[in-house]
Amino acid sequence: MSSLTDRYLAATLRTVPAPRRAELAEELRASIADMIDDRTAGGQDHAAAEREVLTELGRPEQLAARYSDRTLQLIGPRYYLLWWRLLRTLLTWIPAAVGVITGLVTATVGDEPGRAIGAAISVALQTAVQVAFWVTLSFAILERTRAPLGLPEWTVDQLPEESRDRQISQPDSVASVVFLLGTVAVLVGQHFQRWATDDGSRLPVLDPALWSFWLPALIVVLLATVGLEVAKYRAGRWTWPLVAVNALLNLAFAGPVVWLLLTDRLLNPELIERFTWLRDGGADDVARVAVVVTVVIAIWDVADSMIKARRAAR
Amino acid sequence: MVSDEVLRTHLQELRRGTVVVASLVALRRPDYGYALLQRLAAHGFAVDANTLYPLLRRLEEQGLLTSEWNTEESRPRKFYRTSDDGETVLGRLLDDLTAVRTSVTQLIEGVGR
Repeated sequence: MSSLTDRYLAATLRTVPAPRRAELAEELRASIADMIDDRTAGGQDHAAAEREVLTELGRPEQLAARYSDRTLQLIGPRYYLLWWRLLRTLLTWIPAAVGVITGLVTATVGDEPGRAIGAAISVALQTAVQVAFWVTLSFAILERTRAPLGLPEWTVDQLPEESRDRQISQPDSVASVVFLLGTVAVLVGQHFQRWATDDGSRLPVLDPALWSFWLPALIVVLLATVGLEVAKYRAGRWTWPLVAVNALLNLAFAGPVVWLLLTDRLLNPELIERFTWLRDGGADDVARVAVVVTVVIAIWDVADSMIKARRAAR
Repeated sequence: MVSDEVLRTHLQELRRGTVVVASLVALRRPDYGYALLQRLAAHGFAVDANTLYPLLRRLEEQGLLTSEWNTEESRPRKFYRTSDDGETVLGRLLDDLTAVRTSVTQLIEGVGR
């Protein structure tokens, strides 16, 4: 069996560039022998001394990296900020866009509306993983080649406009309000702009019986959320009372939706009757996916507001 | 009370560059890795073997040290010596060290006033 020193040398030299390997091996071997000799001269047992010396020298890969002046990080400080900004930018819209397109295509061209949400989520997740992987890989290669990117230096002109430390930006608030009003429009619109069924008749997606109480109630909650957006914009930041109201509104919306979905009361029963795939368990799948999405969005929204309130309080 | 961790990091930062200075000074007299390590330790420069050995090779690549194999003793050893370029760089480094020392002294006296 080869000695520990031989094994240590082999492990260290494996990743050192070949031209320097032989000379480095000899030098390192002599250094290790010197260190062992020094310890055995003090009365220590050779085997124990060898273990101690090699332990002191540490991980072979790390020593080799020091010899070859190699980085031991995936992405260092030189590229980290750029990597993070690019990744964030790409992840905010590419997976969502691809997901929405896939969902629309599945629902219309593929004519499988029940699978649309699931397909959209799965494709969006896959896209996110792909984007993250390839961006990170590119930067890891840049880090190793130390390629200069020739990017312009940072200047004070790049500082964001807002002088007051405003947490809630106008575009964000406008987008939220537009989204909320859009949701109200969809809730109302689906009753009139109905889905065409196979025999040409048109049916609302949601159970028309819900108009007696639940749909108006949900619309009121959505409109109250618009009020919250306005209050939040005027405050300029998340405050704890706003967080509490936000949590209540989320509960008031997600709670009934989840309950209606789980009791099979949200979708129009007539519509389910018309479609074989909905009748044969498709409606349950739709309900299950919708419940998960609703709960996740609600929790996300509340958690996000709490984090931002804490940040603003600091 | 400052934690030991914080203190250790600051001391490490302060010491980092001085190992190069110490090695360039010590290697005006040629020596091999482990002997240099011991000499530095004896003079209060506690440097790890896995830091010093790669550092010596790097300084050699940069032309600040020259090396020669000595095969006369019991085992062949690589002896390093400070080169002319190394001496020039060392001069600059020592000047800078003195300048830092002077600045700190002046600053301390200024604060005391």
